[in-house]
Amino acid sequence: MKDINIVIEICGSAGEGTISAGEILSRFMSGQGFEIMSFDSYPAEIRGFGKCVAHTRISSNPIYSPGKFVDVLISLNDKHSISQLGSLKESGVLIYDSQPARPHKEDESAVGWTKPGMVSYGIPLNMLAHKAAGNARGMNMVALGVIAALFHMEKDQFTDSIKARYGKKKQIVIDSNVNSFIEGYGWTKENIKKNDSYSFKGVNLPEQKEKLIINGNQLVARAALDSNLSFYAGYPITPATKIMEILSRELPKHGGTLLQTEDEISAIGAVVGAGFGGKRAMTATSGPGFALMTEFTGLSVMAEVPAVIINSQRGGPSTGIPTKTEQSDFNSAVSGGTGDCPRIVLAPTDTKSCYDAVVLALYLAEKYQTLVVVLMDFFLSNSIKNIDVPQKPLPEYLNANIAPGKDELKDYKRYKITKNGISPRAVPGTKGGIFFSTGLEHDEYGRPDYGEAGHLKMTRKRFKKFNAVLSEAPAPEISISGKNEFDIGVISWGSSAGAAHEAVMSAQKEGINASSFSSMMVSPFPQKALIEFSDKCKKILIPELNFSGQFAGFTSHILKRPVEKLNFITGRPMASEDIIQKMREM
Amino acid sequence: MENISSEYLDEKLETVRNIDFLQYRSKELPTWCPGCGYFGIVDALYRACRELNLKNEDIVTVSGIGCSGRTPVFINSYGFHTLHGRSIPVASGLKLAREDLTVFAVAGDGDALGIGGGHLPHVARKNINITFLLFDNSIYGLTKGQSSSTTPYEMKTNSHPAGNPDTPLNPVRLALSYGASFVARGYAGDPEGLKEIIKKATLHQGFSFVQILTPCVTFDKENRTWKNLKLKVTGLKLCVEGKNMETAMRIAEDEPHGVGIIYQDKDRPHYQEILRTINKAG
Repeated sequence: MKDINIVIEICGSAGEGTISAGEILSRFMSGQGFEIMSFDSYPAEIRGFGKCVAHTRISSNPIYSPGKFVDVLISLNDKHSISQLGSLKESGVLIYDSQPARPHKEDESAVGWTKPGMVSYGIPLNMLAHKAAGNARGMNMVALGVIAALFHMEKDQFTDSIKARYGKKKQIVIDSNVNSFIEGYGWTKENIKKNDSYSFKGVNLPEQKEKLIINGNQLVARAALDSNLSFYAGYPITPATKIMEILSRELPKHGGTLLQTEDEISAIGAVVGAGFGGKRAMTATSGPGFALMTEFTGLSVMAEVPAVIINSQRGGPSTGIPTKTEQSDFNSAVSGGTGDCPRIVLAPTDTKSCYDAVVLALYLAEKYQTLVVVLMDFFLSNSIKNIDVPQKPLPEYLNANIAPGKDELKDYKRYKITKNGISPRAVPGTKGGIFFSTGLEHDEYGRPDYGEAGHLKMTRKRFKKFNAVLSEAPAPEISISGKNEFDIGVISWGSSAGAAHEAVMSAQKEGINASSFSSMMVSPFPQKALIEFSDKCKKILIPELNFSGQFAGFTSHILKRPVEKLNFITGRPMASEDIIQKMREM
Repeated sequence: MENISSEYLDEKLETVRNIDFLQYRSKELPTWCPGCGYFGIVDALYRACRELNLKNEDIVTVSGIGCSGRTPVFINSYGFHTLHGRSIPVASGLKLAREDLTVFAVAGDGDALGIGGGHLPHVARKNINITFLLFDNSIYGLTKGQSSSTTPYEMKTNSHPAGNPDTPLNPVRLALSYGASFVARGYAGDPEGLKEIIKKATLHQGFSFVQILTPCVTFDKENRTWKNLKLKVTGLKLCVEGKNMETAMRIAEDEPHGVGIIYQDKDRPHYQEILRTINKAG
């Protein structure tokens, strides 16, 4: 049985339906039983004529990264597509408009820039759209018709997908889209002689379970609702805004409250307030907002009040690059702020684990009475995958507060020193549980205490909780286990972990003896497992999306050995192709 | 001290024995300077809680940083001493998540109008149902006498020894223009009167703003002293009842030392009511 693994890009100008065409394609192919991952890019400006690219990888096997190189490029607008040709594979396919509304000058035509070996199909996209619906708006659907015909996709089922996408619109809208698709399909079948080897036919796909086609932000909101979130406060910021927008609609239906605040300081302040009240509360932001939240992160840790912050990283520092992906908030998430301030940081490694991370975050924050940061990024927030419907959290994850018993309430010490560092927590309204919390150092009752012994005792207590937290960390993911020696060990975190795993799996085929390691929990870090892994590896490679190698620095400190770094700040997600290249050189 | 007669002491002790609001006082000894106006404020707060018959465990006092920040330590209720300027966001989140609690947010003039000044407009316009007590002594006390947002123009302070170059804010005018649905002014030297104001503020359904005039006996020897306050503080001269913005604004301008309820809009729903209505309709 053959493997299918094809990356398709549709490139056009904002407003040409580029992104919707990509969405319809992914949804249809998912329905056909393929694995899909898509990651679109579009300009930061809302209106204008910026370049839009709908990038979709379609495979008969699990997908861990979006794919750096493109097999099929569909140009709805040659001006933008020329620069996309750089990532088209040597034997890739270009589909372009052979009769554009305005004829191209010589060097403005995409086909003029193709390299020998590439296959080009000129299709009168604009003309066919006019023929089907009387205007150029259906060009994107014509293009879908073309690829359906060229690469052997099921025509009638594809038509149904388009109908489903526009199902709520007026009949004329549905008709013009469907007709444009059929026009493109028919014309291609009749006029084009296939000259490439790409096809989606001839593969047996496993029987399709119910799949969710979803991105990280949507999963965060879903996980929060499934985890009985009762309060959300937030301030709009790319790429986290969508989480607030979804919860704004959904949270009240679940009996919760959403507050849009005047700034991020107020958002985290309100979250800490709700947490003090014993309710599950959360906020989501990106680097600049996270910077503003820093003083409250300290209070959450010091006063031992549960709080969850989702930080979807973008290019930084400062306002940085709002619509590009980066992993450069590692240091600030793990150790930003004042004082000795231990906090839990979870970095989901793929779309699905965004759900798991949020369930775990809300549980750990409540149980360990502390701050939990979920470190996502622009790519995880926005890339779309088809995944199995996540299992809802088990009951013990939904109610984790350790409340004081009757005896403890007789002389209630809110910050009682215990074996594991967790002090039973009373919530306001509890008779006999009255206490006072402060950001000042305090004694077991919560009263300000600046003594030397007291500060040491309480600092130890706050750190001690980490030992127990670590026992709740999901097991690190290791690509190849069962061997005692590897030439290269790839250690990665967050959204780069998928590409690292994929790189290691491909490297095997080239005879490179390698494995990869990643942990969703990055603070506290499962150091023992990391050292065990590292001891088996002759060389260590750490790929990540920041300039200075923040995680590499953190890791080499634990491992006390030199590590090889691989860093990108291109704004694009980590590519397995780049990791393999580096492994070959090592 | 030797002048105090034993009769006087007996009489005082008897008064203390008859106080029925001590249940709201915590066991902690206040850290404020002797003679501080804040004693009068917490006294009024204890009395208001007593008369409203609030259960201790259903009260949460949220404060920021500064001398007023210590207030929750001295109240026998749940308390949260948060960050400088941030009692409003914390109290808002708490109240929205726990509608059953009575939430007092406490702040000093530096807290509320300086570092935390950005929160006031929004809690007021949202009309979140908390009671906000502004301990206004017009100076930074805990950091030892620097100019605050309500320090008078040209007054000499430790940060402006040649005189304060900044024009002070007018807290009542701000609260009114931000859309607070309850605005009042009280005086730390009159716990009984202040108690009445705090009671009404607590019963008000929505955001209630109470500016409390109080001296800093240690770092302000010339402006807002007990002596000056005793001379200047009076009841409101202008007659007000309920929702009269024009009169309220005139009080804000012309009666900086007038105490009483300045503005109250009883018809405006508080934030949770608004959310319930909107979400039901949506």
